Amino acid sequence: MNLSKILKNGFLILVASLVLSACATQKKTGQLQGDVYTGTDSVEYLASGVPDRVFFATNQTVLTTASRDTLRKQATWLRKNSKISVVLEGHADERGTREYNLALGERRANSAKDYLMTYGISSDRISVLSYGKERPVDSGSNPLAWSKNRRSVTVKAN
Amino acid sequence: MLFRYLLLLLILLPIKSFALIEVDITRGNLSPLPIAVSPLSIDEKSRENFKKILKKENIGSEIAAVVENNLKQSGLFNPLNKDAFLQKPDIANLKPRFEDWNLIKAQALITGKVTLVDEKLRVEFRLWDVLAGKEMVALAFTTIPSNWRRVGHIISDKVYERLTGEKGYFDTRIIYVAEEGPKTKRIKKLAIMDQDGFNNKFLTLGNELVLTPRFNPTNQMVTYLSYFKNLPRVYLLDIETGMQEVVGDFAGMTFAPRFSPDGKKIIMSFAKDGNSDIYTMDLENRIVERITNHPSIDTSPSFSPDGKYICFNSDRSGYQQIYVMSSNGKNVKRISFGKGLYGTPVWSPRGDLIAFTKLHKGKFYIGVMRTDGTGERLLTENFYQEAPSWSPNGRVLIFYRETKTNSEGEGFSAKLWSIDLTGYNEKLVETETDASDPSWSSLLSN
Amino acid sequence: MNRSIVISSGFHILMVIITAMSLPFLSKKPIDLPPIVSVELIQITDQTSIPFAPKAKKIIEKIKKKEEKLVSEQAPPKIVKKIKPDAVPLPDKKIDKIKKIKDKKQNPEKIDNEVKQVSEFEKDDLFDPNNIAALIDKSKVQSAEAINKTDKITQDQEKNVDFAGLSLSEEDALKAQIFGCWSIPLGLPYDQNLLVRIKLQLKPDGSIIRSEILDHARMNKPGQGFYKVLAESALRAIKLCQPLRVPSAGYERWKNLQLNFDAREMLEG
Repeated sequence: MNLSKILKNGFLILVASLVLSACATQKKTGQLQGDVYTGTDSVEYLASGVPDRVFFATNQTVLTTASRDTLRKQATWLRKNSKISVVLEGHADERGTREYNLALGERRANSAKDYLMTYGISSDRISVLSYGKERPVDSGSNPLAWSKNRRSVTVKAN
Repeated sequence: MLFRYLLLLLILLPIKSFALIEVDITRGNLSPLPIAVSPLSIDEKSRENFKKILKKENIGSEIAAVVENNLKQSGLFNPLNKDAFLQKPDIANLKPRFEDWNLIKAQALITGKVTLVDEKLRVEFRLWDVLAGKEMVALAFTTIPSNWRRVGHIISDKVYERLTGEKGYFDTRIIYVAEEGPKTKRIKKLAIMDQDGFNNKFLTLGNELVLTPRFNPTNQMVTYLSYFKNLPRVYLLDIETGMQEVVGDFAGMTFAPRFSPDGKKIIMSFAKDGNSDIYTMDLENRIVERITNHPSIDTSPSFSPDGKYICFNSDRSGYQQIYVMSSNGKNVKRISFGKGLYGTPVWSPRGDLIAFTKLHKGKFYIGVMRTDGTGERLLTENFYQEAPSWSPNGRVLIFYRETKTNSEGEGFSAKLWSIDLTGYNEKLVETETDASDPSWSSLLSN
Repeated sequence: MNRSIVISSGFHILMVIITAMSLPFLSKKPIDLPPIVSVELIQITDQTSIPFAPKAKKIIEKIKKKEEKLVSEQAPPKIVKKIKPDAVPLPDKKIDKIKKIKDKKQNPEKIDNEVKQVSEFEKDDLFDPNNIAALIDKSKVQSAEAINKTDKITQDQEKNVDFAGLSLSEEDALKAQIFGCWSIPLGLPYDQNLLVRIKLQLKPDGSIIRSEILDHARMNKPGQGFYKVLAESALRAIKLCQPLRVPSAGYERWKNLQLNFDAREMLEG
């Protein structure tokens, strides 16, 4: 009597915990790391292998390791194509006040610009523009959509 | 024993004067005041003439309707059903039979008369205290016929002031951003309308993004942010002529512009190299003055009505908070200390309060606090709302709300809402299109 | 990523084993419920029923909840009657007044003490519902004393109470009537002195002969515009409520009445 009960309960718990652990792993799959978007859904390419954008955590303007990696690739490409100028467009998600988000977008774009400059790209070739929350790339109202919108995009100016 | 009672009787008997009994009345009902707005009386000849000029069947009824709507929307008055009125407008205007109005439980009554005099619209109106049987206000206005709505608004202001003790806010306009299109590619235009939603006009065409417009103190100019030629800059627009010009020659993005209380300067944020600071520019001599100098983001400045102080939004403490400083940038003091992020501070025209947007645990709030940061009161909560703007009497806040989109990213809308300072009367402000970034003018009749 | 699944499942299985081992100990025993104690609020019949303003209801419910926890089998005499919305916020003033007026009229100290004690007892009750337990002993003693003195003193005591003003039920009736008539202007500032005192001269049927606003100098004071508005609303309330709900007897004592309209409570919200 006791034993079968233990086995039944044990089996239920095992199933439940496996289900739970499965859910846990989804967070770590390639869409979000913490708060920062790490996917490729909305990413476009300046050239083969050179993503055009970097992503940020909520309220943050700090570059992640992945962002720095992307920007290094952009810098390499810009050095090879020395005639090209770019505009860095900074964006924010909708979960903030409009004017502060304009400032936040500008700061994000500047983080990217500063990093490019450390790789020898002259500031004459880079201008910065902020759209705040005005031009989201994903119109959803959920954390994944918001993470895709917190970005700095490098756009060819000529 | 007996002696004691005799003594008592002796003492009690002669006492005839009774002390004044006082009764404390500490409760009443907070329901809107019942008021009867009688259609304004008008003679047949004038009515025919106005019908020709304004294409309105009965301008007397139309003006009364403007008043009735204003009073009702304020949440402080309850205009009674006209079908119940016993006295006709022309008779009521001379000397109302108060018993008739008492019967329908009106406590106040508005009557008046409209005539066409020398091609002009002349309106007389009277406000009566029905219970006391007395006249409270009697005024007359003359103006061009096309201004008939403003006459209704001015009458509403006079009635409001007489019955609440506060200045009214009906003869005002609201400037806002009219929005259309998908969330990822919104088309935005500057728009202006009367506070009751009529006379809506677009001021820009929608070819470039426009944001956060503000009136100047005389309500003739507007300052706003425009992405003309993909360069976000602060502009000035003359409402009458439609002329636009860039404010200043800044080598970077300028945004969040407002006028100083004397109308002579524009105060705004200037962003460069990742830092946003607050600057002013004198409109006459074009001198630029730097007000904040800090590596944090400083934005959303708002002058106190006397021009001596500025409240603004800064993240110098790590997160968005509200600060107050002298108008020369000195004595910066933080005033918001609650849990959450604070933004968009706006100083009340009465000088006593600062309204703000607060974000906490994923919810947005519109609230007010005293200018020293105490007395924080949250008025309303929503999935997304921000940017309150004060009515000129410092009693009503207008702001905007956006809705959540579904999993397909559909269902997005932005609308203007208003709420009374006491938290009562939260309601939708109707606009033809979606709307955001509202700003309230001062009283036009000044 | 696979590593983490392995580790996670490993820990979960460990937990399963632990739980499985302890499961037998969680046999389903019937839960030991403590015997149910029924608590009843004793309603005294004299309780006047005023149409409560919404805020008042909240205050009453709050206090009722507090009292529910502390009511014992012996309900002290007369207390419950005193729980009234308006009594709660400003009982201090009232009882002081009643005491004052009583003091003037009474000489024999003993009676004075009786009355004083009763009111103090009630006062305590209103302010410290938590101390009802402490007061219960007192109540026993007092009710004993009261019963002793009652037959001798009753008539005089009642007369004394009359001199104090309207009895509480008469006052309640008048207040309830005016609560319904007073439309408090919603536009008033709630951080200012919002007290309007109006003196009335009444006819026996409750209609008004004369009304006078005390502090009428404030009506035209600059910056006090709202006072005029408030005073006018009070006057409208009085006019609307005519004839006033006055007591049927004792015209002499209430023919001059002062109504103190205080909007602060309603507006402070």
